Amino acid sequence: MGEVELSCLAYVKMYLHGCLFPRCSVNGLLLSSSPAGGAVCVTDCVPLLHSHLPLAPITQLGLTQVDVWCAQTQQRIVGYYQANACVSDNSPTPCALKIADKIAEQCNNAVLLMIDGGKMSPDYRVPPIVMYERKDTRWTLKDKHTIMLRQWEETREIANQLLDSGDHSLLVDFDSHLDDITRDWTNQKLNAKIAELASPANVCTWMSRVEK
Amino acid sequence: MASVSEMYDVTWEEMRDKLRKWREDNHRNSEQIVDVGEELINEHASKLGDDIWIIYEQVMIAALDCSRDDLAWTCLQELKRQFPGSQRVKRLAGMRLEALEKYEDASKQYDSILQDDPTNTAARKRKISILKAQGKSAEAIRELNEYLEQFVGDQEAWHELSELYINEHDYGKAAFCLEELMMTNPHNHLYCEQYAEVKYTQGGLENLELSRKYFAQALKLNNRNMRALFGLYMACYCLCVATIEPSFQKGQVNAWKSLPLQGLYFVSKPHCCQPQSERHGEKGQCEVCYLGHQSNQPSLSAGRSRDKGEQMLREGRGGDAGVHHHVLGPTPNSYTPLFYMAQQGSSVGSMLCNLPLQTRPPPPLPLLLDDLKQDCSPI
Repeated sequence: MGEVELSCLAYVKMYLHGCLFPRCSVNGLLLSSSPAGGAVCVTDCVPLLHSHLPLAPITQLGLTQVDVWCAQTQQRIVGYYQANACVSDNSPTPCALKIADKIAEQCNNAVLLMIDGGKMSPDYRVPPIVMYERKDTRWTLKDKHTIMLRQWEETREIANQLLDSGDHSLLVDFDSHLDDITRDWTNQKLNAKIAELASPANVCTWMSRVEK
Repeated sequence: MASVSEMYDVTWEEMRDKLRKWREDNHRNSEQIVDVGEELINEHASKLGDDIWIIYEQVMIAALDCSRDDLAWTCLQELKRQFPGSQRVKRLAGMRLEALEKYEDASKQYDSILQDDPTNTAARKRKISILKAQGKSAEAIRELNEYLEQFVGDQEAWHELSELYINEHDYGKAAFCLEELMMTNPHNHLYCEQYAEVKYTQGGLENLELSRKYFAQALKLNNRNMRALFGLYMACYCLCVATIEPSFQKGQVNAWKSLPLQGLYFVSKPHCCQPQSERHGEKGQCEVCYLGHQSNQPSLSAGRSRDKGEQMLREGRGGDAGVHHHVLGPTPNSYTPLFYMAQQGSSVGSMLCNLPLQTRPPPPLPLLLDDLKQDCSPI
């Protein structure tokens, strides 16, 4: 089907969400600020839950709030990601399929992304993600060649740097927001930090370090 | 790398007390425990006295959590030397094998403990954890059920069973487990709230009614439980939509119930209230909480200056010159994302969005709950 591009921001936040709650299943939504039609470009993500994923009320609440926020910020929900607590099993759970189905009703090229916990190490050569797309009411594995992650090395470096400096604790998911509602689930602060790290000046510094 | 005591300027006694607090509260902040505990063990072992053994145990478990097998091995060796033949140390050895994913060996270790002492609950629970780690949920559930037949009062086990059932989408049985927990812990708002969530997920009119009652009960026990507050609102909304003729009256009732939610967000988000020039986007919307603002409007708590929320605002901003306040209720060019429950063509939903400003302050939370008290069945 169509191509999917995953931005640095979306990948880093997903990765950090998984790292922040290593013992729980985590999930979240993938957003796109580009118009519908053509390739899907995932530009951002919103981490949702890290507990009781199969329970409805908070999931419903989170989806509604993100939906409204997207409408205000000209974004669309284009996908769903999940990382299972059990590292050896990265197949989509029934609740993942249900939520992804709901998203696919609104967005034709919706994607379901499972994070492969077993492959989440600092120097892994390929992104530890498995993507599914919807074909005839079933979710099937997406052809790897249609998934793009520009500047994978830099993205990986940014994620590692944030982990090392402990900044992954800045990430706020919807569950944490409900525990303390002064925390911002849109993660503006973290977004700014990631944008700063992804700026060309920083990228050059890393590339020179990596080459050594 | 700087030591913990240098970085945070703490003495070894403070570090020891912190470890004790984490132990008593059963925190799983393993990285912190490893940092603090490792330094205590390496630098201050002689001063700790007999406390050192329990600290070894605590640090060892945290080290296993952080994949620090070197540290875990050291702690285990010390404990083995001090307590040869102890069942507790055997269990720790088993846990280390589990961490290394040697599940067969770990299982044998726990079996040998159970042979000597069939009532050893820790070893039985570890065996169930192995099944869970291997992804064998059905077997884990079966074993846990057998365990609970013998040890009916083990609340940790009931909670674990409810989690396993929730993951299997067996909501009826999860509700049963939570009912057991609520019976023995009637004052725990978290169990009430979780039970309400399970009932909400099950769906159907009866379950929604129950869900509403238990969200209200959770709020009665702790009126700051946001999940319960949102859950109560959502359950009420679903019931309104589900019953036969949604009228404007019902819409009003719902809006009234939603006001405490707004109130809480207002009180807890003083950072939103910055002068308009600073934080606002083009449409005059606060970028943090997406509520529309109108300056020079009377504040929510006008005339109630003792209100804590107002105090927080004043303290934070040095008086309210130039500070605007959240206008209660939707303003013309905005809608509050919190309450945007409108579905396509739903008349109740659209009514919620267009309700006029309430001219009287919202009823305080206890009053709201008293209204629902008659519905709340005693636990």
